[in-house]
Amino acid sequence: MDIKSLREQSDLSFDIATAKQNALEKARSRQIVAHRGHLFRADAETINLISTLKQQHSTFFILDVNQNPCEITDPDDFLNLLITRNQEALNQYHQLYQQLKKR
Amino acid sequence: MTTGVLIYCFDTEAVKYHPTANFAIAQIKKHLGLPVTVVTDSNTQIHLQGQDNVVLIEPRKNNRRFYKDKSIPWLNLERTNAYEYSPYDVTVLMDSDYFVYTDNILQYVDTAYDFLLHNRVYDATGRNSFLYTSKSLIPIVWATLTIFKKTPSVKKIFDMIKHIQTHYDYFCNLYRIDFQNYRNDYAFAIALNQMDGYSSNFLPSAMTMLPSDTEIIKINEQYLAFKYNEKISYLENQDVHVLNKEIPFNV
Repeated sequence: MDIKSLREQSDLSFDIATAKQNALEKARSRQIVAHRGHLFRADAETINLISTLKQQHSTFFILDVNQNPCEITDPDDFLNLLITRNQEALNQYHQLYQQLKKR
Repeated sequence: MTTGVLIYCFDTEAVKYHPTANFAIAQIKKHLGLPVTVVTDSNTQIHLQGQDNVVLIEPRKNNRRFYKDKSIPWLNLERTNAYEYSPYDVTVLMDSDYFVYTDNILQYVDTAYDFLLHNRVYDATGRNSFLYTSKSLIPIVWATLTIFKKTPSVKKIFDMIKHIQTHYDYFCNLYRIDFQNYRNDYAFAIALNQMDGYSSNFLPSAMTMLPSDTEIIKINEQYLAFKYNEKISYLENQDVHVLNKEIPFNV
């Protein structure tokens, strides 16, 4: 393979990596939700935490994105909100990722 | 409780900002559905479209900045008065070149926090152009998008920002800030450092930025196309702060 082809492949890889990072940042921004006056990330960690705690308690405390405590008194509704927002963001990311794979 | 957006727009000889502000207002209306108040001067006001309210002032003009290797006027000194200018209980203070393509901001106004802004940004060209870690002793915050409520503690923050602006040379030296002109980003950072011990609450996402050397080749209400290093990329459904002032609206 000549150096020109290697350069083109390198450029393409960088472009795809940048586009993937942009799509990921977009998804992360979309995952932010407000609940009971606090902000949370609708990511796997928060979803797993709520899902686990609600098996033991009907109300409990967790930390928001700025490490402030928040009492969760409606874990079922909160979990639904988190899952909805998480899947909305990741569905968009998935569609963009499929386009990137074709390049 | 009222919620609305406050933006500043002053045309200068070097840059006509009103097309940018008009586009920003249209995007705010479409995606956020919030009322918009524009702080402006009489020369710029006649070109503005879509705003709900105008605060007419005569801006102080003794600040400049480098833009594409030229020194141009920078009418950014009035941001310190945003607390007084805003008619809203909850204010989304936004640069006129911050373009809203989502309703994400509606999550940020629906909280108990009384002062929120970004402390992280993301360069969409992939170059990390905004890592200013060696530019000062204090971590920068970004005043581009600031959400605040009218509370006594927020009033103190804005009063502190005014004090810092008045004595900016002193604070610039104190914090070893590597920019000689007045920057709201650092004035806000210093105020939070002084008033909150830098234990402030921040917006959890990184603000997407396009540097000034990035050419905007197309922009409309659905997406923005930009060109850098002979490559064209798109941002869609993603809020973005555009630093290039030559934006081809209506192309």
